[in-house]
Amino acid sequence: MTDSDQQGSEPVDVDRQTEVGQEHHGDRRKAERRVGIALAVAILAGIGLFVVYFTGGQTQIEGLLFAVAFGAFGVALGIWANHLLDAREVVEERHELTSGPAGREAFEAALTEEVGPVLGRRSMLLRLLVGAGGALGLALLLPVLSLGPAPGNTLKQTPWRRGSRVVDEEGEPVSLNQVPEDGFLTVFPEGHDGAADAQTLLIHVRPGSLKLPPEKMAGVPEGTHVAYSKICTHAGCPVGLYRAESQTLICPCHQSQFDVSDGAKPFFGPAARPLPQLPLGVDEEGILVAQGDFPEPVGPAFWDMNRGR
Amino acid sequence: MTTMMERSFKYLDERLGSASLARTALRKVFPDHWSFLLGEIALFALVVLIFTGTFLTFFYNPSIQEVVYDGPYEPLRGAHVSAAYNSVLRLSFEVPAGLLMRQTHHWAALVFLAAIVIHLCRIFFTGAFRRPREVNWLVGVGLLFLALGEGFTGYSLPDDLLSGIGLRIFYAVTLAIPVVGTWVTYLLFGGEFPAPDIISRLFVFHIMLLPALLLALVGVHLAILVLQKHTQFPGPGKTERNVVGKRLWPEQTFKSVSLLLFTTAVLAMLGGIAQINPVWQFGPFEPFNVTSPAQPDWYIGFLDGALRLGPPWDLNLFGFTISEVFWPAVLFPGIAFGILTLWPWIERRFTKDRAEHNLLDHPRDTPVRTGIGAAGLMVFFIMFLEGGNDIFGVLLGVPVETITRILQWGLVIGPLVTFLATYWICRSLSRTRLRPAQINAGVRLSRTSDGGYETVSLEPPAEDGERAPAATGPHAE
Repeated sequence: MTDSDQQGSEPVDVDRQTEVGQEHHGDRRKAERRVGIALAVAILAGIGLFVVYFTGGQTQIEGLLFAVAFGAFGVALGIWANHLLDAREVVEERHELTSGPAGREAFEAALTEEVGPVLGRRSMLLRLLVGAGGALGLALLLPVLSLGPAPGNTLKQTPWRRGSRVVDEEGEPVSLNQVPEDGFLTVFPEGHDGAADAQTLLIHVRPGSLKLPPEKMAGVPEGTHVAYSKICTHAGCPVGLYRAESQTLICPCHQSQFDVSDGAKPFFGPAARPLPQLPLGVDEEGILVAQGDFPEPVGPAFWDMNRGR
Repeated sequence: MTTMMERSFKYLDERLGSASLARTALRKVFPDHWSFLLGEIALFALVVLIFTGTFLTFFYNPSIQEVVYDGPYEPLRGAHVSAAYNSVLRLSFEVPAGLLMRQTHHWAALVFLAAIVIHLCRIFFTGAFRRPREVNWLVGVGLLFLALGEGFTGYSLPDDLLSGIGLRIFYAVTLAIPVVGTWVTYLLFGGEFPAPDIISRLFVFHIMLLPALLLALVGVHLAILVLQKHTQFPGPGKTERNVVGKRLWPEQTFKSVSLLLFTTAVLAMLGGIAQINPVWQFGPFEPFNVTSPAQPDWYIGFLDGALRLGPPWDLNLFGFTISEVFWPAVLFPGIAFGILTLWPWIERRFTKDRAEHNLLDHPRDTPVRTGIGAAGLMVFFIMFLEGGNDIFGVLLGVPVETITRILQWGLVIGPLVTFLATYWICRSLSRTRLRPAQINAGVRLSRTSDGGYETVSLEPPAEDGERAPAATGPHAE
């Protein structure tokens, strides 16, 4: 033993101390037996694992056998640690962490001994060194730009165009009155079924229930077929729940609620903007068509959503 | 046998000088307190994560290429799914012990994060972050962030409907970053949602970048711990200048290996019998489908709750837009984790305490710090609750709106009440001068000359090891 680890002041429990001498040996024997049993259980569980695995496997039983094997092994070591080791408390002295002023000076000297005079004298060289390092660093960042396309206007547009026929998930055209009253359907522009940013809810509302300004009503065939973007303006989840009796669209992710009769304006929850309305019309075959793209960017807000569209 | 061991020790020592190093390591002293095992549980959960995770990588396919599922799970037969989702179904239903490994991996991730958070609380509430351990505090907070990143990226890999929605929300959050949000989002995801590269990128993050950083930081975390030695609670014989406890070998090794085995046992049991993330029930990801109720893993719950509680305020600044998502999901975490990261320096500004501390505080003796910590936990807890508002709504038969309103008020009042209550409780407990973490030194019974008994405390009188409880300030000195 070195001087740095001397025996610590041992906590003394008077009552226990008297027992130690007489029962110590018996305790040890008992503990050894228990360790042996635990290790045997671990072995058996391990063998059991082999059997279960090679007879077809069963997730629950395998998990339990793993647990028993590891657990019994852990119990064995735990008993060993608590009853078969001396478990003396020892004291270790701490050492000063700092190298002290002298040590730091020596370090500085070692650092600047050879390069210091050169760089100190020729500060122009130092500046160029920093400049070259910086330029190289920036150049090394360039490949990062390859990781994605420039956003451009991509977030402000969807595949909906003037004349796009309205189709369902399977790409089948959707005609007027195909969706029953109070019903709704997820629709896409033809040729883009499944497109994430084009997903739109076609809702067949009761006649006379919409309170929209005339220019918006112009995009609602029969005054009953209204279409809103299905992407929540809050965090982008599909607004998948519709309560027909209150004409409310509900986003299941964060419970924003939109009033279908009033231009899908949010009236509860974290969303701040209405779901953009897709202006619809009907072609000569009775198929619903778009009159153009959404008038505003769909989905969650972003920094320049209202600029340069 | 012995001579062979001796020979190999000699061989290594002559080449590496390993004998004296190993001796020092074996004799390292560990304080004996249960709360010091929390970090170990995190470490052992990480071990399980690495083993199970490596197994999973052999079967997982990070591709969104569309395939037709034709495996044994009837309800999805013939469904068009991504290769990633298909490989997870294969892992779950066809690879022997695959489901066990997958579920154990998922459970281990949940326990890993939980152990890290509780370990962090231990460090915070006992003041273990004070000088000289500020650097290791930073490393620890970095590990927390990396673990959160690992959790989120791993959660998204199966390409199921639930995780796809989580990814969609995360996309909205990065989009809400002012000025650079769109660029950051496009560089990170490779384009407009759902960009085809997302899954393969998440995979690279999950199995290479983040684990490499995580393991490097774990190494630094432990190296600094060894260099600076453990803290310890004040008690008989314990001073700022020493460490009292059990040696690494054999006592601590036995205990730690035992704990490793127990942690593994619990995780294997959970992985075997407690179903988690049954992706086959959620179905494959389609950007226009959604499940309800939808909850993320527990450690992201606070963020989902924050998004549900958030005010519907977007802002127009000279034609530019600040999203309503910015306040709860960018600004709030930024401030909260900023305070957490800088806490050692924030606290020092107020306490002016620059001394080294190797003895821990009892939380009760630092009522201001304990109160602030409890209030902070309350903020996260309320957000976590709100993350399940739809579930509570159904369970309690209360409209979701009511729960959200209550929790919005709770967020205003709760932390304040928590602070005051915690402060008051700490002050009261501190006055009792009872020390729960301290091992009782015991008493000596002795016969007095008149035939009675008297008890003599074996507790050494308060000296440098034992500090008087402070009445004010977040820190007792």
